[in-house]
Order: sequence, then structure tokens, then C-alpha cells
Amino acid sequence: MIQTVATLFGLSLSLVLLFLIRRDRLHISHGVTWGVAVLCFALLGFAPGLFDAIARELNIIYGPTLAISLAIAALVIKALLLDIECSKLRVKNQRLAQKLAMLESDIADHRNATKKATRPLG
Amino acid sequence: MAALLRYPAEKADHHPNGVVIIPAFNEEATIGDVITSAFRHTDLPVWVVDDGSTDLTKERALTAGARVLSLPFQIGAWGATQTGLRYAQKLGVDFAITMDADGQHDPTSAKDLLETVVSGKADVALGTFEDRGSGSRRVAWKMMGLASGLDFRDPTSGYRAMNAAAIEALTCSAASMLDHQDIGVLILLVRARLRISEIPVNMFPRKSGQSRIFSTWRVVFSYMIHTLSLALAKRQLRRNQPSKQRNTVA
Repeated sequence: MIQTVATLFGLSLSLVLLFLIRRDRLHISHGVTWGVAVLCFALLGFAPGLFDAIARELNIIYGPTLAISLAIAALVIKALLLDIECSKLRVKNQRLAQKLAMLESDIADHRNATKKATRPLG
Repeated sequence: MAALLRYPAEKADHHPNGVVIIPAFNEEATIGDVITSAFRHTDLPVWVVDDGSTDLTKERALTAGARVLSLPFQIGAWGATQTGLRYAQKLGVDFAITMDADGQHDPTSAKDLLETVVSGKADVALGTFEDRGSGSRRVAWKMMGLASGLDFRDPTSGYRAMNAAAIEALTCSAASMLDHQDIGVLILLVRARLRISEIPVNMFPRKSGQSRIFSTWRVVFSYMIHTLSLALAKRQLRRNQPSKQRNTVA
């Protein structure tokens, strides 16, 4: 049953990814990352014995625990990478706003200088 | 004050040698008087960085004769201050004084701050007024000091003078990651090996509005969590540098 669920979920996710990339809602770099997630679901669906075998090697009694732990670790790493990216964007956004304020001040100066230069005499 | 600078108030390209930078958010009630006082007591150009105000702050500042840098949206007092510093750096300004727009900072003290950096005694002059702190505020300052390893009597004071080296240090991208002008900025200055002097100044009670940081307990709690976490994370390691700031008191 779990194989069926995992396979269906992986298929659905891959279709959603394809839709988002084609509609330019998701950058391809993120698409590749999520594509790896889809592959993992496919692996769980088509070769569930693989996780059991790895779990036995690692002395983990219950195989699915390994899959769940890996999934949680991947989500945590993904969330952290998102926060790092968000921090970078925040700094860029702030400095862009600062640059805009500086440029508008320069433009105002230029306008005033132009007005004074073109003011009619007398 | 121009004589205090020991050279012309303007460079050959008419850019100022020193400026007063005032970040402002919805301070229409006081900004005009603050600008007028700053002009009178410093004889320096005054730049107001309008931090996305929704009232008449920008208009009142322009009427009072200040240059206004208008941010398209609110980015916070430190972000607004950094805007002024970046503009100062762009124009090659040698000295900058930062002060608040709410009328708390006595402009007559500006000469003491400026003299400290112009004379080369320090790179940054931090205006301190310990009496303005309530009991809980002083506890907060003490906690910041313990967490960061820095010893400042008034680490949240925005009344500062700085030279070109300090301006350069505070305009970098790393400084843009900071939310406030207190411990994070001071740590950055210490890491840049800049000399910071604490200068006693006079401050007045706030004329309008209320502190944005010490407004509600929820805000204070959030601010302290963030500030102490930052201070601990960026605390200087004893092995490389002494954790105590080598500050001096004039």
C-alpha cells in the first residue's frame, strides 16, 4: 500500500513541478531540487526493499524510520537554505531601496540646477 | 563650527566635508525644529532620511531646508541611517553626525562629538546620557554588554559622530543585515579596529510619540531575544582579540 501511495505522490508532484516550470512560476534551479525529491519518492515506490536493506546495515530495526528521518532532515536543510536565500534577498532589497533614495536626491539636485541655469534673465 | 573642521566646510567640488544625518519616520511634529537647531549649532548641511513616513515629515523637512532622501518603504531607523551614510560616502564626506528626529538629542552637544573625531582622538564618538535609561533599560544594556563582551554605558544611543573610516565600515553589506544601530553596529566597528569614545551629552525627554523598541513588553522581549542572540553569536573570541572594547571616555 505504501508503495502505491508513494508512487502516486511522486507522480503527482512531478506533474505539479512540470506545470510550475512551464508556467514560469518556479525557477529551474528549485525544480531540479524538487526533482530529486520526486526521484526519492519513486525509489520508495518501486524499490521499498532498498530502504529496508540500508536500515538493516545501519542496525535500524524499523526500516521506514530511516526514510522518515531522511525526509525530515531534507526538509530542515531545505528550510535553512530558504532562510539563507531570504536573508540575501532582504539585504539586496534594502540596499536597492537605499540606492533609489540616493538617486532620487541626485535627480532633484539636477532638476534644480537645470531650472536655475535655464531661468530667464531679468 | 566650520572653523572647528580646520578646513573649508565645502570641498572644491562643493560637496560638504561634514553632514548631519537624521533618520525620520512620522516625525512631522518635531522634524522642523530639530533641523533648525542642527543647522544653528553645527553649521553643517542636514540630511533627513525619510523612512517611508506617511505624514508630513518629508514636506516639513524640505521647508526647514534639509536635503531629504526618501526611501520607498520603511526599512527601519538603522537602514535609514545607513542610507545617509552611503550617500555621505558617495560624496566623499569626511565626517557625519547622526541624531534622532524626535528632539531628544541636544544639538549643542554636537560640537563635543564632532571635535572628538575631527581632532583624531577617535573614529567614532558615541554620545551617552545614562540618566535617560529607566531601571529596566539599564538592565537591558547590562545584558547586552555581558552577551557581547563590550562595555558601553549607552549602547543604544543614536547620537554619534564618525569619520570617513567609520562611515566606510558601516556602509558595507554586512551592516545591512543589522536591524538596529546598537550592539550589532558597535561590534562591527570594534571588529574593524576603529576607536570609539563615549562622550557625555545632554538629552531631552521625547517631545512626541514613543520609543519603537521599548513600546510594549512583547516588542521589548522580541528585541532583547534578537539582540542578545546577535551579541552572543558575534561575540569576539578571547583568543584573537580581547573581548573588552578598548573604549575611552573623554
